[in-house]
Amino acid sequence: MDGLRFDKLRVLVVDDNQHMRKLIVAVLQAVGVRDLFEAPDGEHAWAHLRESNPDVIILDWQMSGMTGLEFVRLLRNSPRSPNVFVPVIMLTGHTHVDHVRQARDAGVNEFLAKPVSVKAILSRLINVIEHPRPFIRTKYYFGPCRRRRSVTVYTGPERRASELTPID
Amino acid sequence: MATRDNKAEVIIPPNTLRAKVGSASGKVMLDPAVLKRAEMAMDNLRQEFSGWLAKDIEALANAFSVFAKSPTADNAGYLFRAAHDLKGQATTFEYPLIARVAASLAKLMDGMTSWRASPLPLVAAHVDAIAVIHRERIKDISNRTALVLAEELEARVVKTLAKASQQ
Repeated sequence: MDGLRFDKLRVLVVDDNQHMRKLIVAVLQAVGVRDLFEAPDGEHAWAHLRESNPDVIILDWQMSGMTGLEFVRLLRNSPRSPNVFVPVIMLTGHTHVDHVRQARDAGVNEFLAKPVSVKAILSRLINVIEHPRPFIRTKYYFGPCRRRRSVTVYTGPERRASELTPID
Repeated sequence: MATRDNKAEVIIPPNTLRAKVGSASGKVMLDPAVLKRAEMAMDNLRQEFSGWLAKDIEALANAFSVFAKSPTADNAGYLFRAAHDLKGQATTFEYPLIARVAASLAKLMDGMTSWRASPLPLVAAHVDAIAVIHRERIKDISNRTALVLAEELEARVVKTLAKASQQ
């Protein structure tokens, strides 16, 4: 079958739990990903981002030191970021809608809730390949478009007006 | 509320990923054989799950021990993260009731407004329950004894947080 060429993909897995990292890496290796980079925390991932030059980042939210959210904000907004557009799949035990919103507002592309399954990992991976989102730059946000689908009938007030904080 | 600047720039980054990873036909699809290989990779790791979980449970017990001696914000953070790790991972590692009890502990730690007020016996009861569920290899989510234990702990957390919010 004429399938996806995962062997061409470079993936960075950032998780301070070595067991979860091992599991994600094993699944990715099994589908053919060869260029895999691992980091035990946000600081390491950030320090080696230029050399790992990933096509996709799979990132845990809750880590000691720099959290996943802080990492994404740096990635998207720092002038030192080597690639502000790289897709980020956020791996997390947080499933509350407020947490999903926080991740989205930091610039996360996909949300992968624990417990993880092979299908969930691959579906998020395929989604960032198949459905790349345009990026939006405003005074308050830079990152993938936060709308899942285009909304043409909405006529109310600006929906995020109360959430605005200028980007540093 | 901040003053709104309505200007929004839409940027379409080049889709290098699809060009790089896409199939020769240009269609994005997953080969069923690849999916099967990935499922097998996960299955091969299953024998390690219990050992991995044991290490995570040990980390939780250590975090609790440190917190009990010195209930600082930093140590509360370590304990919360250890509980949160288990909440996220235990179901993947085939112990859903550990995930449930760990979620209750994470909720308790997250909800307490003062670390010093965290009720140590209730925290200890969660840590002990997690250790027992693992030691007894209770993987069945409908195990009556473990369920009653989880429900009791959750109820006490709700009560404790309600009481703490009134103080």
